[in-house]
Amino acid sequence: MSHMTNPLATPDRLFQRRSFGALPLELQDTIFFATQCLTQAAGILLQLPQSVTAQANVLLARYWLVEPLMAHEFSDVSAATLYLTAKCSPHPRSPRDLSNVYAYLLSASSTFFSPPTAPNNNNNNNPSAYYVSETAYQAFHTRLLALEGRVLYALSFDTHVALPHPLAVTYLQALEFLHVPKETIGGKAVQYLNAALLSPQMLYLTSQPNTLAVAAIYNAARDVGAKMPECEWWEVFDVEREELGFLVVGMRSVEGWGRKLREDMKAMGVERGMIMRKHVEAELSRRGLGVRIGNKVDAEEEAARMMDEKMEAMEVAG
Amino acid sequence: MATKAKSRWADDEADAALEAQRKKEKAERKRLKAGKARKLEAERQARDAAPREADSADGPPAKRRRVSPEREATQPTTGSDGPSGVPKLLRFEGGTFGRCRSVENYDKLNDIEEGAYGWVSRAKEIVTGKVVALKRLKIDPKDRGGLPITGLREIQILKDCDHRNVVKLQEVVVGDDTSRIENIFLVLEFLEHDLKSILEDMPEPFLTSEVKTLLQQLASGIAYLHDNWILHRDLKTSNLLLNNRGQLKIADFGMARYVGDPPPNLTQLVVTLWYRAPELLLGATRYGRAIDMWSVGCIFGELLTREPLLQGRNEVDELTKIFELCGVPTEETWPSFRRLPNARSLRLPTGKAATGSAIRARFPLLTSAGVALLNSLLALDPERRPTAREMLAHEYFRQDPKPKQEAMFPTFPSKAGQERRRRRETPNAPARGQQAADFGAVDFTGIFSGREREERGGGFSLRMV
Ligand SMILES: Nc1ncnc2c1ncn2[C@@H]1O[C@H](COP(=O)(O)OP(=O)(O)OP(=O)(O)O)[C@@H](O)[C@H]1O
Ligand SMILES: [Mg+2]
Repeated sequence: MSHMTNPLATPDRLFQRRSFGALPLELQDTIFFATQCLTQAAGILLQLPQSVTAQANVLLARYWLVEPLMAHEFSDVSAATLYLTAKCSPHPRSPRDLSNVYAYLLSASSTFFSPPTAPNNNNNNNPSAYYVSETAYQAFHTRLLALEGRVLYALSFDTHVALPHPLAVTYLQALEFLHVPKETIGGKAVQYLNAALLSPQMLYLTSQPNTLAVAAIYNAARDVGAKMPECEWWEVFDVEREELGFLVVGMRSVEGWGRKLREDMKAMGVERGMIMRKHVEAELSRRGLGVRIGNKVDAEEEAARMMDEKMEAMEVAG
Repeated sequence: MATKAKSRWADDEADAALEAQRKKEKAERKRLKAGKARKLEAERQARDAAPREADSADGPPAKRRRVSPEREATQPTTGSDGPSGVPKLLRFEGGTFGRCRSVENYDKLNDIEEGAYGWVSRAKEIVTGKVVALKRLKIDPKDRGGLPITGLREIQILKDCDHRNVVKLQEVVVGDDTSRIENIFLVLEFLEHDLKSILEDMPEPFLTSEVKTLLQQLASGIAYLHDNWILHRDLKTSNLLLNNRGQLKIADFGMARYVGDPPPNLTQLVVTLWYRAPELLLGATRYGRAIDMWSVGCIFGELLTREPLLQGRNEVDELTKIFELCGVPTEETWPSFRRLPNARSLRLPTGKAATGSAIRARFPLLTSAGVALLNSLLALDPERRPTAREMLAHEYFRQDPKPKQEAMFPTFPSKAGQERRRRRETPNAPARGQQAADFGAVDFTGIFSGREREERGGGFSLRMV
């Protein structure tokens, strides 16, 4: 049984994908961050427990390490992973529910990714903007099912995701922080873990849940000025200092990513709402990078994938 | 890819994983102890404990950390302190992820079974020559819910399982056209037989020692599943596989699922009728591991006689057969049964003849320990059935004749290896969308007329000398 562990991305695969992908790095990151946020927003509107949405975030990250970013509309990939995780959980949601929620989130009425200070935030609600026609629904439904199969194929049908959240709670029980109630630290640690789901550094693909949990506790304790045990207490949880250090920084930088993302999107002309493939394509051609994007992306991603496989073969042989 | 997939599933790796697991548990205990000691020491050792951090904690890190590739390849180390006193940390290994391979990596040899829902065939992996079973996932293209949750659960549960009495899933492969994922195949380790086919063909029943070996392996597989929060929900002889080395493995996880404690509300439409527990027949939606143990009882009986034990024609008839064998429930033998949805309006006979068990009479050759075990497995009240672990510790397995060594198990001609199997008349597991039975008022008072005059088992058994 592997309930406590996750399949991880090999460092080479991460490196390859990011260096040889068809898109410039910062565009990859923007798409990743925005789509993970969209998944979170949809999870809330669908009243899914955070554990289900978090699993969808992790599946989506894994999927994009295997499949090209530009192959499908980002919001469709988000919907398909969320549909799949909900289906496998005790809280399934119907394609109809997903269709409605995503239509709303992608509409101009949605407050998704619109700055909280925007003037007409609340009186902008226009139901006709997110009304889903039967044809639109059928089209969404068909895309959803096709992508569900595609996601499963890309992940070899492994939908298992171990989350660090329960571990963090358990670990806290074993630790003593003088003068600070554990609930305070626990709450903050969970916030760090949820934020880490969004990070384009794909922390959930590089580290096992025990390490994520410890890093979140470390950050949470530091934030509230709790006195930590003076020994190398993380070793009790099988965490190495080096990896912990990396995660501590990674988790703290998610906020920075968020700010940067908003600026990047603005620079691309996406003032509000979700970034779409058409925005990316426009941006690419603005930079003189993306003529006939579809084929080009496929070819480059394919080349990257073949290199992945070669590396894997070498690892096995060695 | 091919070598990778193979090495991931090779037996020695599985053994290594098991060994690692054992070591891990040991290490865990040791480390917790060590952790306490370290804590005490910490006050004296006031050294800088903060992990190294980059200068800027808020902006995105300037560059990605590079982790040396050999990390992935390292074997899990023990948690014991190394010679230098540096604690060696446990590596959690979760493998990695990637696309499915194509079914074209396999050559089909012959069909094994073409059932009501399923399709299983024997095949050979082209590169390695290894023989496997390919089970095609049942997909209804008209189902607008997408891939069936039962199939996804079956795959996930099999992927998570690693036990010698649970069939191993080597990989999942898909048809060559990956633009539409419609042909999905489970690549399973191949076993020569299923118990049902063996039972149908054997001229003599299993020896007691053989029954014990089979039951012990079954219970040990179920104990593993139940320990890991998995209910199988379709245990029956056709879902138990046997290889030529006397090894039994539980298969067909199409009905299985993870459950919590307390179990969530579940559908009562599970388990093939002849193996279905009375609480399910009476409409329980909160049920647990005991439904699997009931099926084990039915399988036990079938191993002894080569005939399914309770062959009801429908739900009511199944319940009738159960009451005939086990007696009708009373407030004493099953205190909560009246609260089950289908039990409220049942009219049941009373009196000692109706409430007593006929198991002893039905199995005159079984020792009293055997009867005791069978009786407990077929307890009407799920609370009174033994757990799989309790079953393993049962007196029955310690008495002579002892369970036969697996290696000494007789071999049987393998149908799966040679020819297409005929379809059997066993009822199928309930299909999705089927309606649960609602009996309304059923009168069972007549089922024991004449039983008083029957010879009842008197608590002794004939001994064959
Ligand atoms: N790994 C295997 N090796 C050999 N034979 C197998 C294997 N798996 C399944 N079979 C054969 O195929 C039959 C059907 O398999 P299984 O029960 O998994 O499929 P199913 O479609 O769910 O069946 P059903 O719906 O009829 O219960 C088994 O009874 C057994 O005879
Ligand atoms: Mg079956």
